[in-house]
Amino acid sequence: MQFFSGSSAVDISPSPAAPPGTASGLSGNNANMLYIFNRSGVCLLYREWHRPLRTLDANQDQKLMFGLLFSLRSFTAKMDPTSVDKGNLGVPLLPGQGCSFYSFRTNTYKLSFMESPSGIKLILITHPKTSDHQESLKHIYNLYVEYVVKNPLYVPGTPIKSELFDTNLDQYVKTLI
Amino acid sequence: MGREVAESCIDGVIIEMVSAYCKRFYATKPELAARRIEAIGYQVGHQLIERYTVERPRFSDHLEAIKFICKDFWSELFKKQIDNLKTNHRGTFVLQDNRFRWLTRVSIDPSLDISEASQDSSAVTPENKAAEATSMHLYFPCGIIRGALSNLGIPCAVSADISNLPACSFVVRVKA
Repeated sequence: MQFFSGSSAVDISPSPAAPPGTASGLSGNNANMLYIFNRSGVCLLYREWHRPLRTLDANQDQKLMFGLLFSLRSFTAKMDPTSVDKGNLGVPLLPGQGCSFYSFRTNTYKLSFMESPSGIKLILITHPKTSDHQESLKHIYNLYVEYVVKNPLYVPGTPIKSELFDTNLDQYVKTLI
Repeated sequence: MGREVAESCIDGVIIEMVSAYCKRFYATKPELAARRIEAIGYQVGHQLIERYTVERPRFSDHLEAIKFICKDFWSELFKKQIDNLKTNHRGTFVLQDNRFRWLTRVSIDPSLDISEASQDSSAVTPENKAAEATSMHLYFPCGIIRGALSNLGIPCAVSADISNLPACSFVVRVKA
């Protein structure tokens, strides 16, 4: 899994083709949200493009999401039948090492997950019939690096407030929905 | 010519340099921080122009030197040329870059409440702070231009104008 795209300036590599099943106008309770957490659980970004139901307030919702994924990652690593050495659980893994959790699917939504070696967790909620979103999550991570990390005005560890990032993200996610 | 370094490393070093001078070394005196950053830029410009003009003959006049800065020097530094050069033929030059490479990723908070800000214009609004922080990042390129020109024998003063990002204008005033 390659994290460093090697793109120049702000020429983000062309967005990967949307996984089949997206943009087919599947209506209904089609939820679409994105969370970005950093290593210590601070929610850097929460965007929603469509969410029919809200059960908890924003803060609790984000804490629950972070805790859930932290535990899911540890659980999937512990239950891994292919490797003996469980290594250091709870710490971000280098690409290709250990057992990384990808997604779970219910009858109403699909949650895709990606964690970078620096501990940035990306969580994308989409329609259940879409296929794998690992490429999309990688593209969103590249957007994050270009417009947030390289923004001189950004203080790492604080919520993301960048117009450029929001615009580009919206543009990209529109192609996925 | 020599070894290569990833551009993100240079971007990172510059961001951290400005941040260190503004927030740690001279946190209470932004003018001093600005002057130190400009002085660093002066040294860098001074040395860079030596490298890039090593095989060239001397420049016949100020305009030729400025044109060199706009074309070759800017391409070496930022992989593009200055988009627009204006002069009043009396020692003032305006170099305009429509997409200044080091400012392409600067972006402010889109949820700023504009109506609240306009009521109390004397207070320091978040928008002003963002503009101030961005202008700190311009002292370095201004210093580079000043250092380059003074090593070519043209003492001058350089200031920058960022009324519309990501375009950036550098105003060079040659000292008589």
